[in-house]
Amino acid sequence: MDLLNPRALRWKIAALAAAACCAVAAVVGFLVHDATRERGLRVGTERATTRLTAAEREFERTGEAPADIDVRSRAELPAPLARDLPPRPAGGPGGTAYATWYDVDPPNWYWMWGAAVVGGDRYLVVREDMSAEVRSLQLLDRSIVKSVLAALLVVVPLAALATEPINRRLRHGARTARRIADGDLDARIGSAGRARDEITEMASAVDHMATALQNKLDNERRFTADVAHELRTPLMGLVTAAGLLPEDDEAAGLVRDRLRALNALVEDLLEISRLDAGAERARLDPVPLGELVADVVRRTDTDTRVTVEPGDADEVRTVHGASAGARGAGAVGSAGLVETDPRRVERIVVNLVANAHRHGAGPVEVTVAGTRIAVRDHGPGFPPELLADGPRRFRTGASERGRGHGLGLTVAQGQAGVLGARLTFANAPGGGALATLDLAPPPP
Amino acid sequence: MTSNAQVGSVSEARGPAPVSVLVVEDDATIRRAVQLALERYGYRVDVAADGLDGLEAFRAGAYDLLILDVMLPALDGIGLCTRIREESSVPVLMMSARGDALDVVAGLEAGADDYVVKPVDTAVMVARIRALLRRATFSPDAEEAALRRTGPAGRGGRTAGRAAPDHVLTFGDLTVDTRGMEVRRAGETVALTPTELRLLLEFAAAPGTVLDRRRLLREVWDYGWEGDTRVVDLCVLRLRKKIGGGRIETVRGFGYKLVRG
Repeated sequence: MDLLNPRALRWKIAALAAAACCAVAAVVGFLVHDATRERGLRVGTERATTRLTAAEREFERTGEAPADIDVRSRAELPAPLARDLPPRPAGGPGGTAYATWYDVDPPNWYWMWGAAVVGGDRYLVVREDMSAEVRSLQLLDRSIVKSVLAALLVVVPLAALATEPINRRLRHGARTARRIADGDLDARIGSAGRARDEITEMASAVDHMATALQNKLDNERRFTADVAHELRTPLMGLVTAAGLLPEDDEAAGLVRDRLRALNALVEDLLEISRLDAGAERARLDPVPLGELVADVVRRTDTDTRVTVEPGDADEVRTVHGASAGARGAGAVGSAGLVETDPRRVERIVVNLVANAHRHGAGPVEVTVAGTRIAVRDHGPGFPPELLADGPRRFRTGASERGRGHGLGLTVAQGQAGVLGARLTFANAPGGGALATLDLAPPPP
Repeated sequence: MTSNAQVGSVSEARGPAPVSVLVVEDDATIRRAVQLALERYGYRVDVAADGLDGLEAFRAGAYDLLILDVMLPALDGIGLCTRIREESSVPVLMMSARGDALDVVAGLEAGADDYVVKPVDTAVMVARIRALLRRATFSPDAEEAALRRTGPAGRGGRTAGRAAPDHVLTFGDLTVDTRGMEVRRAGETVALTPTELRLLLEFAAAPGTVLDRRRLLREVWDYGWEGDTRVVDLCVLRLRKKIGGGRIETVRGFGYKLVRG
């Protein structure tokens, strides 16, 4: 997926492996370096001491030091040697005192000094070149670093690759969860016969949750469908029978009028309960939005003006073959076509226009621009509660009852949600309510 | 289980014979009210109260159109529709009180041509009935259409043999005679319902062109924006089963097209 995301699990585990690798190399390297250095010093000291002993023996025999050995007075000794050596031979001519001093001045001054007292103010002084040991120590350090780097080259990709099966399972889980959220309630992660680990445990928990959710949703849907059936069957009889009553009879007119209201209320309630159950899915088709809205408004049989503006150049995007889900809704095609569900757009527009006429005041204007549909009236505007909290069921703007049941805007909002559109309520600058439906809202 | 067909009176006997409709509905009020309402529009209406009665009534009389409720005792509307489709291509309008996807889809899959959700206004129901009947008597040839209008729902293919090359269209092993209203696949006659035939003619008129579902819904079913494009999808599905799966291609997000040659 995102190979470059530095926070991906893959790179975290690779970094952990690299850190562990480096830590082990540092400890081992330090110990080896230290031991090798100790050994080098010991060898140097031994070499210096051996030469001193030989020189001492020769000095005792001949009274002369060999050519490669200096004989110096105490004052000529390097300060550290002078400090370590007692000023006089401790135990006469037989007993000798030695001192060694490692003189380091990087980058290329490595000497092991040795000195012995041979009586009086005479000291035998040897100098051993230690640069060979130092160089080999440096070589050792370098080769440790090189082998660590080589190991990292192998370990980091291996660690990154080793996370792949885990990553794949996690991605599969995430994909499945997203599918469930998008409405595919039959989707399950499954364990695919794997041994129990934390991931299979999480997967089975998610699957369990999906099953519970599905049962709940199925029950709710069944209930809604049953209620619909039980309510609609007598209504159907009533509506058809009322249609048989004489046209010019006032009482029959009252019955028909109230029946229409009852019918609308039942349909709105059923629709809200379907929307609440999440049972609704948009069926997308490329639709000429301006034409659709003009047609729909015309059929509301109200005094409403429709203006269709050509979309802005930057709004005209040719997105075709959009995904089946609501996510792909509302892409504007080149011919002013919008990928959307026209029946739901119709529901929303009809409800908004009806609401504008019922609670607002004329003239009611509908404007279509690109993927945006704006419905504006010139009444008192939306009440502040609606602007703050959105539409609420059975909460009408007017304080008097009986003027609409306040479900229209709730339905509109719910349908907008199914379309993946955004419905916003505001008051226009010049007064009046302004509801805007944007079929292709920018992602939040 | 006798067929309790209550033969309705013919109130508007202008044509040679009124269009006869069978309504199968278990709710007595709806049954009677729909009968009365449709009779006012001049249809001859018989009614049946359950699925088995409905099947018997259907076999006993020649109907131009059936209106079936989905939820019926004895044999439900879906099962009834399936049984009817085995022996006839008469137009079928389903009435569902649930109106949820499963009901509608099952009804259309069983071969119904269209559906309405209760409670349905009589005017709307009559509009659907008229659209269905128009399809049943549809012909691009106006004269023949007028001739056939009086007959019962045609099975689309009784005047074979009159075919002249210019109105016989060939798509692979499929031949469509737009005058004789006959469809043959590899030489064998394919029995299509009027809706399926009308849909196929729509495709045959523009082979290779993508027809979007909204347009098909408008042209074939006479629906405006309120129509449900599922009726198109499911009719295409049924049509494919009859004329060969690859003949009509789905163009995702747009609609369908007939494959040329």
